[in-house]
Amino acid sequence: MKLITLAFKSISNRKASVLLTLFTIAISVMLLLSIERVRQEAKQSFSNTISGTDLIVGARTGDIQLLLSSVFRIGHATNGLSWQSYQYIKQQKGVAWTIPISLGDSHKGFAVLGSDENYFQHFRYGKKQSLTFTHGRAYHNAQEVVIGSEVAKQLHYHLGQQVVIAHGMGNTSFHNHDDNPLTIVGILAPTGTPVDKTLHVPLKAIELMHGPTHRVNTTTIVRNNDSSHDEHEHHEHHEHHEHGHHDHNVRESEPGDLIGEPTQLTAFLMGFDSPLYTLQVRRNINTYKPEALSAIMPGVTLRELWGMLDIVEKILMLFSAVVVLISLLGMLTTLLSSLSQRRRELAILRSVGARPKHIFTLMCSEAILITALGSLIGIAMFYLLILVSKGMLQAQFGIAISLSLLSGYELILLSVIMVSGTVIGAIPAIRAYFYSLNDGMSIKV
Amino acid sequence: MIQISDLTFSWPGQSKPTLDIANLSIPKGERLFLHGPSGSGKSTLLGLLAGIQIPQKGSIKMLDQELGKLSDTKRDRFRADHIGTIFQNFNLLPYLSPVENVMLGCNFSKRRVEKLRLSNTTAQHQANTLLEELGIDAQTRSRSVGELSIGQQQRVAAARAFIGQPELIIADEPTSALDADNRDVFINQLFEQATHYQATILFVSHDASLAHLFNRKVSLLDINGAAL
Repeated sequence: MKLITLAFKSISNRKASVLLTLFTIAISVMLLLSIERVRQEAKQSFSNTISGTDLIVGARTGDIQLLLSSVFRIGHATNGLSWQSYQYIKQQKGVAWTIPISLGDSHKGFAVLGSDENYFQHFRYGKKQSLTFTHGRAYHNAQEVVIGSEVAKQLHYHLGQQVVIAHGMGNTSFHNHDDNPLTIVGILAPTGTPVDKTLHVPLKAIELMHGPTHRVNTTTIVRNNDSSHDEHEHHEHHEHHEHGHHDHNVRESEPGDLIGEPTQLTAFLMGFDSPLYTLQVRRNINTYKPEALSAIMPGVTLRELWGMLDIVEKILMLFSAVVVLISLLGMLTTLLSSLSQRRRELAILRSVGARPKHIFTLMCSEAILITALGSLIGIAMFYLLILVSKGMLQAQFGIAISLSLLSGYELILLSVIMVSGTVIGAIPAIRAYFYSLNDGMSIKV
Repeated sequence: MIQISDLTFSWPGQSKPTLDIANLSIPKGERLFLHGPSGSGKSTLLGLLAGIQIPQKGSIKMLDQELGKLSDTKRDRFRADHIGTIFQNFNLLPYLSPVENVMLGCNFSKRRVEKLRLSNTTAQHQANTLLEELGIDAQTRSRSVGELSIGQQQRVAAARAFIGQPELIIADEPTSALDADNRDVFINQLFEQATHYQATILFVSHDASLAHLFNRKVSLLDINGAAL
């Protein structure tokens, strides 16, 4: 009989305490892996939100604020930048493309983004991936809208359906532009970024909706403005009025003017022929005299933003590490307390010729077996947890968790747990070693 | 078989020696009753014979091998190869079956396995044979160790000591947990097996009333100069 078999039989003889230890280790491993996976994936989808854009330009504000409002649709962009400035900067040397962005309207809680055809042509996310359509195409005129995958999914929208845009960002919104219904002509493929939760319309559509009288602050994001709530509440019932339409294919429409005559933009994205222009143009924009503007490099600002979340990330990491440590200490307690009851067992083994090193190996392999089994159960529980919570994480937080194999990093974490388990298991093993040296075959209980 | 001469042993930190034996010799095939009340240095002597401790002075020769001259590992191997041990009680590992407990005697000894191979048998087969000879039937063998009576447990322990034919069987108070009837039966079975497998028996007990069953009786109090 191999020592390992002996160890296995010995621990299966102490089921109750060993099972409890296994369970705590399994839970701690699951917790550690889950936290790490969510952290990694969150970071991933976070930094994948935008790519290929060299500069984001908006009215003078904090870097992070500009990033949040233009890319994540979070927060208030208190000012817009003037159309004239946009036109001027666009002409600068080295500018390859620009994407104007006008935010501030919403549809059932989803942001509405006004832009032009450049958006579909030049916007990149993830690893420089461009937007693709699962259904339909880009908008061609001011009566058309392209929706993100989450919008389509959650609101059960399909091509050809007409939607009405509300002014402001509330769900039960205040002012519906119901005189300007837009037809859905395209549904974008999922990106795992805020694009999924956005309705894309031409700039002109925004202009039209607001009309000459509504010109003020079309680009201002007004968040859940309670004061205007009462005033516009009666419009709410209009929201569902186009639900009858079904699946007729989108006809090719007459290309129309997408831009109109906007006066203001929330921000715009810029790409250059060569990254070398970035710093120069950035400096020019930041010192642009006619208007106070900010230009940020999205990559840098994303890192800055993530850096702010770093402490939360570290605390989470620390907590899960401590949980693992506690579970391993639990194993130590169990092994140590069983040890005194097992001196007889050790003496019997010694009497049949087991050497102290055998006793040491036996005790160590028990700890290794428990840690390994606990980790395996923990991994299984981890996958189960991901499987169960996947949909929820995607819907609630936009974090796409993949059910992929364990990453190298996760394997390193597991090996650290295994090594710690072994080291901790060596403590009772060393004690047993000395017991067996001193006690010999005389049985002391 | 065993030759002890001018042996002194004291535990670390103790000024007075625990054992001081001028001469003790046990010939091959003898059934020796070693009378050892508590405090007579009985456990210490058994530890020395099993090679767990080594004497500070004097020599223990077993099968013409000077124990003190062997390395720790070699002494452990020597014990595994040549000595079978039966304890007072709770001799068995509770997580192994009776047969597995008996086979444990072969686990750490190549020599015992080799001997079984030479007599054309396996550890498993021999374990069953020994248990059968000692009156543990197949039905009892299939039970778990904890369900066996103390008498049955002691016979399983005896089978473990005998497997692979070691030359010396050390029995340390094996009958103290048994009642009088069981005790005599157990000792007789022990002798039968010893005859069959040509083993020397060193039987240690504080109960002098068993002495008449043996070839020879030695009292540790008499031979140990360091005893109280």
